[in-house]
Amino acid sequence: MPAAVDASSSKKRKSTKNAGTPSKRRAVAEEDGFAETLSKVQELENQIAESRKYYNNIATLISMLNVEPSVKKPELAVAVSLCRVFSRLMAAGNLSESSRDAENEKIVVAWLKERFSEYQRALLSIIREADTTSQVTALTLSMRLVKEYITHIPGADSSIWSGLFKDIIEALVEAQDGEEVRAEFVSKFMKEYEDIRYQTFTQIAEYAATRRKTDIIEILISLLSACDEAPASDHEIDTENFFAKPDPSNKRLRTVHGHKRRAQDAWLAILRNNLSQAQRKALLRIMVHTIEPWFTRPELLMDFLTDSYNEGGAISLLALSGLFYLIQEKNLDYPQFYAKLYSLLDADLLHSKHRSRFFRLLNTFLASTHLPATLVASFIKRLSRLALNAPPSAIVVIVPFMYNLFKSHPTCTFVMHREIRDKKFAAEIEAEGMEDPFDPKETDPTRTNAIESSIWEIETLQSHYHPNVAAIARIISEQFTKQAYNLEDFLDHTYQGMVQGELGTGEKPLRKVPVVEYQIPKRIFTDRLLEEDGGVDSGAGSFMRGLWDFSS
Amino acid sequence: MPPSQLKQLKASLRESGVVGPQQSKKQKRQNAKTGVAAQNRNQRNAALQAIRDRFNPFEIRPTATRSKFEATTRDDNSKKATGRRPGVTKSLGEERRRATLLQEMNSRNKVGGLVDRRFGENDPTMTPEERAAERFARESQKKMRKESMFNLEEDEEEFQLTHMGQSLTLDGTTVDDFDGGDLAGDLDGAESDEEASRKRKRFGEDDEDAEDFIDFGEDGEDQPERKKSKAEVMKEVIAKSKFHKAERQKAKEDDDDLREELDQELPDLFEALRGMKAPAKPEPAKQDLDTMNPERAAMLQVPEGKDTEKEYDQRLKQLTFDKRSKPTDRTKTEEEKVEEEAKRLKKLEEDRLRRMRGEELSDDEEVESDKDSFFQGDEDEEESEVDDAAAFGLHTNSYEPRPELAVEDEDDFVIDDDLVETRSNVSLSLDRSDIEEEEISSEGEGEESEEEDELINGMTLPTASSAAASTAVQVNQTADGKLAFTYPCPGNHEEFLEITKDVPTQDLPTVIQRIRALHHPRLHADNKAKLGRFAEILVEHVSYMANEAEEPSFAIIENILRHVHSLAKTHPINVAMAFRARLREISEDRPLNLLPGDLVVLTGVSTVFPTSDHFHSVTTPAHLCIARFLGQCSLNTTSDFVTGAFATSLCLQYQAIAKRYMPEFINYILNALCNLAPTELSAKKLSFPFRKSQESVMLAPSKKVTPRKLHFRDIQATPSDSQAEEDLKISLVTTFVSLLDTASDLWAEKSAFIEIFNPVRTVLNHLRQSFKNKVFAAARDPLQSTLDKIDAHLARAQLARRPLLLHNHRPLAIKSAIPKFEENFNPDKHYDPDRERAEANRLKAEYKREKKGAMRELRKDASFVAREKLREKKERDAEYEKKYKRLIAEIQSEEGRAANEYEREKRGRQGKR
Repeated sequence: MPAAVDASSSKKRKSTKNAGTPSKRRAVAEEDGFAETLSKVQELENQIAESRKYYNNIATLISMLNVEPSVKKPELAVAVSLCRVFSRLMAAGNLSESSRDAENEKIVVAWLKERFSEYQRALLSIIREADTTSQVTALTLSMRLVKEYITHIPGADSSIWSGLFKDIIEALVEAQDGEEVRAEFVSKFMKEYEDIRYQTFTQIAEYAATRRKTDIIEILISLLSACDEAPASDHEIDTENFFAKPDPSNKRLRTVHGHKRRAQDAWLAILRNNLSQAQRKALLRIMVHTIEPWFTRPELLMDFLTDSYNEGGAISLLALSGLFYLIQEKNLDYPQFYAKLYSLLDADLLHSKHRSRFFRLLNTFLASTHLPATLVASFIKRLSRLALNAPPSAIVVIVPFMYNLFKSHPTCTFVMHREIRDKKFAAEIEAEGMEDPFDPKETDPTRTNAIESSIWEIETLQSHYHPNVAAIARIISEQFTKQAYNLEDFLDHTYQGMVQGELGTGEKPLRKVPVVEYQIPKRIFTDRLLEEDGGVDSGAGSFMRGLWDFSS
Repeated sequence: MPPSQLKQLKASLRESGVVGPQQSKKQKRQNAKTGVAAQNRNQRNAALQAIRDRFNPFEIRPTATRSKFEATTRDDNSKKATGRRPGVTKSLGEERRRATLLQEMNSRNKVGGLVDRRFGENDPTMTPEERAAERFARESQKKMRKESMFNLEEDEEEFQLTHMGQSLTLDGTTVDDFDGGDLAGDLDGAESDEEASRKRKRFGEDDEDAEDFIDFGEDGEDQPERKKSKAEVMKEVIAKSKFHKAERQKAKEDDDDLREELDQELPDLFEALRGMKAPAKPEPAKQDLDTMNPERAAMLQVPEGKDTEKEYDQRLKQLTFDKRSKPTDRTKTEEEKVEEEAKRLKKLEEDRLRRMRGEELSDDEEVESDKDSFFQGDEDEEESEVDDAAAFGLHTNSYEPRPELAVEDEDDFVIDDDLVETRSNVSLSLDRSDIEEEEISSEGEGEESEEEDELINGMTLPTASSAAASTAVQVNQTADGKLAFTYPCPGNHEEFLEITKDVPTQDLPTVIQRIRALHHPRLHADNKAKLGRFAEILVEHVSYMANEAEEPSFAIIENILRHVHSLAKTHPINVAMAFRARLREISEDRPLNLLPGDLVVLTGVSTVFPTSDHFHSVTTPAHLCIARFLGQCSLNTTSDFVTGAFATSLCLQYQAIAKRYMPEFINYILNALCNLAPTELSAKKLSFPFRKSQESVMLAPSKKVTPRKLHFRDIQATPSDSQAEEDLKISLVTTFVSLLDTASDLWAEKSAFIEIFNPVRTVLNHLRQSFKNKVFAAARDPLQSTLDKIDAHLARAQLARRPLLLHNHRPLAIKSAIPKFEENFNPDKHYDPDRERAEANRLKAEYKREKKGAMRELRKDASFVAREKLREKKERDAEYEKKYKRLIAEIQSEEGRAANEYEREKRGRQGKR
């Protein structure tokens, strides 16, 4: 065991040596001092190992550790050697008292325990405040202590988990500039050992039970979401894969359900805490893939999701998929779901980042052929209204989507083709034109009268400036021979992609000679030769010249 | 009961005319003379054979499966073949085998031999005379026949039939006898065989027959003994027709000569009529000749010469190949030219409209099946793998080229005078007068225009010297800033900048002009490519100029753009690629904040290329660039808005003809107006995506601010003080309002006009409310008039609104599943719709049949061989037996003789005793 400790500590020393060379001249001076302290620390450590009378050296070493809040660089060599000392003591059983021991023995043990907790505090403060390298070292050392403690002192694991480990987690979360040390923790311990993960969940759940600051919650979220792979229900929790040998009485540690339960508690604690909008969005985004698998009872997410859905805007969009999961799997009854969905179709929707995501879901929601035609028509009409102000990449989604709706709800095709049979009504329309019966302000999609209307908007878009968009808009006035369009093909287009589609990425020879305007205009910017035309500027581009002054 | 066999035989003999009434002796003689008898004999033999066959019950065997009943499924040919004739087929097969297999058998294990391939050598039916005659005929035919038109070898005969060392060719004598003076013969000789064959072809069938008939009549008298071969007959016919033709020609020529003679005498006649004697012409004949075709004159001068005639024939032949002269185009009058020009313009305009609608160009243009690539969705239905979006051209990195106008002929260009290098004096001086008013003194200008003259005069100088001069550009550039006459054609933009480094901006057009003049494509073959490159450089330079200069001179930029335009007509691809490169740069580097240079380039696109086209490889991406900018750019500072205002104006200019709808345009303007409005409009009322500017750009309404015309430099410059900024804002508002005004006119016909312009009206109303009594009237009035106009348009759109009737299509035919019925169904035919399978089945059947046949043949061959062997063996045995018997008999007779002798001797001795 000491050999292993030596190996790890020597590695650490090396890394500290590497980190501790700020400038060359100082480095030389420090090198001497460093070697000196090293030999001194070694000597003190050896003395402790030799005899009990040198136990006071522990106090000396702890004082050498030099952990003032102002000092960013603690003596790591000392910390490492102290770790070795305490490990040895624990292995020798010097740190545990028995009732048979003499009084003075008990005093020594108590004194040692005091020093041990002092050392722990020092390490924790290093984690909290020191620089990154020291943080990582301190984390490793304290985790080592946890392990040694559990191994050598029987029946102490619950106390160490709720004691030292809890403190470690707290220190980690509250550490300054702690990204690296947290990443270290996640990759080296949390993902590696299932019991560490279990305990972390427990501690986080406890920690997040009280209201915390948003940045702390941010950290907690990042820690939790790092474990994105929930164990499958038939997964065997293997004690081989544990950081420390667990208490055989603790059965929950060995079941997947127990693990999930902890994770669920942790997540719930966070969801109930005060979340910022951005965090809410982030959580919603990872909801289906990262959070929901951990939940043994996903219905517990209901509150969070319905609250988010009712919020409106982008958050509603994001909550949709989670909500849909609950509706589909857990039989959640969400009254006015479609009304809410309809209200999501606002002016910003088509410009939003989550457009594709929304359309994928909308496609699922409107796939049912049992929906009333009035409702589907409302969606169609609303989308066509929005398309009038939409970027081309959105229009190319909307039109095939509508096509699919028309195919599955043939009653709605009245909005494309309506022959008026009633003579009186026809005469009225002939005289006064048709008033659009669609009520855009109505929030209930079954009462908008959209089915009585027509989609003039899409017809207008048939003369869209972009030829491909215009061609797509034209599919609604052609025969509906195709069974359905694959929506996925239309979803992820962007301006950039379209421009690149037109221009290509490199110089490629044109396949066709481009047409050139046959008449060279007399003027482009200036009033050149205006008198020839009798002083009236009427040629091409006169509009621009009328609005803009190009003279210098 | 049928009559007896004998009676039937008699009857049939009578029927076929084998036995009949006896012919008289006279008749017989006559028949024998005309050859009827022989014919009769043949007929009789044939009839007899038929009768014999009919009466031989073993000759014909019925088919194995007799057809019992008529059935539709019965094949026709099986009905026809009522019986087969085993005897005949057997003997035929035997015969064939004897000819082939037996020969092989006999020649087995034998090497070498002589095969006589002479014609008729193995034909026992021919008499030696016939054989010889036929061989001779073949030989002469072979000589007559031409294997190929281009066979040069044929003339030299490889071998010839000779008799006693003399050639046996027929025509040898005729060549010798050929009368040179005879025109017919000459003509005949001159005409190649090819021509002859062509003429032969030209004769109709009827003609041929008719002439044949005539010829028979004629030839029958001369040589009745031999029937002529067809080829010979044809040759004669041709020779005759040629002869007649030559006769006719000769007659005609004679007539012509006579007429000419008469013509010459006509003046004399006139003189005579006038009663005056004409002065005797010195050499009438000679003058005559002068007026004539010199060749003809030469011919007349030496009328009897053979060479002349030959030459004449040659000329005549040449003349037949001469192209017929056509009437030249009449010189057009001014009105016609104008009309034509108008027509051309009209056609170009129509083409533009057609392209705008995305239709294919008329048939004389190149048509590419772009429609397929656009609407191939229907064809893709079966393949589920196919990307639906790709059917609409939405896949990345692909663009469909549209059919375009073919480049017009270079001469058709309508180029403004000042863009053409040749006669640019007048317009250019005009041009420069408004550019360089301050810069150049009047005398300097005069000097320059003189130089210009020189330049134009020396326009056609060869390129070699220009190339030489190009090296000395720097030398040519004199200290007092006069321009050099010659410039090298730059290969890239840096070179161009190097060249124009010392040239004042105002003279740039002149430099460009000179470069273009010096590298005119007519002067050197490479110049076309050079100028193409130069056009690309100019495009680059336009954006460079607009970006570099603090206040770019738009007169110069305009001039360069027009140069680019005129170059684009000859180098459309270069210019288009250059513009596309600019656009690519924009879309990759700065899609959301356009530089002034980019705006100028986009303006250039609108003038050089037709923006109304449904698809165009330059304008479509340009549209996208503008739309992307409008849709996503930031709205923070007033200069952002100025850039946006320019871009929106460009939108409208792009859509001036096609009137296509641009959602980004409306979005942007409404957003800008909402941001600029003095009071905030509650976002809830807006039906368009609202983007708020990060810092407030709200207009501070005051009576002091006055709207003005926006200036291009506002894009770059920041307003000096708050007053100027407010001025700029109010001018932006008025510009945007007037843009909306124009847009409402453009899109008035759109079916969703109401939906588009209702939000516009809301915003404008809000603007009016917030301007009320606060802003200068100059800003309020256009707002009010625009509102009124939009209201009017809205009312009209409301009246014109009808429910959509998009699906007045003919209903689609339901897929029919009626079985296909075959007229005249034949059960033996296979109606397999699968072609390949049918073919395979056919082959299989054929193989089976062939195999069966081959096996049968082999079997028969084997039996034949066995039979032959047996026969041979028998023959051999018989021979042996015969020989044996002969020997035995010989010996026996010898013995007998000896015995006789012995007897005699014995008797003699006994007798002696």
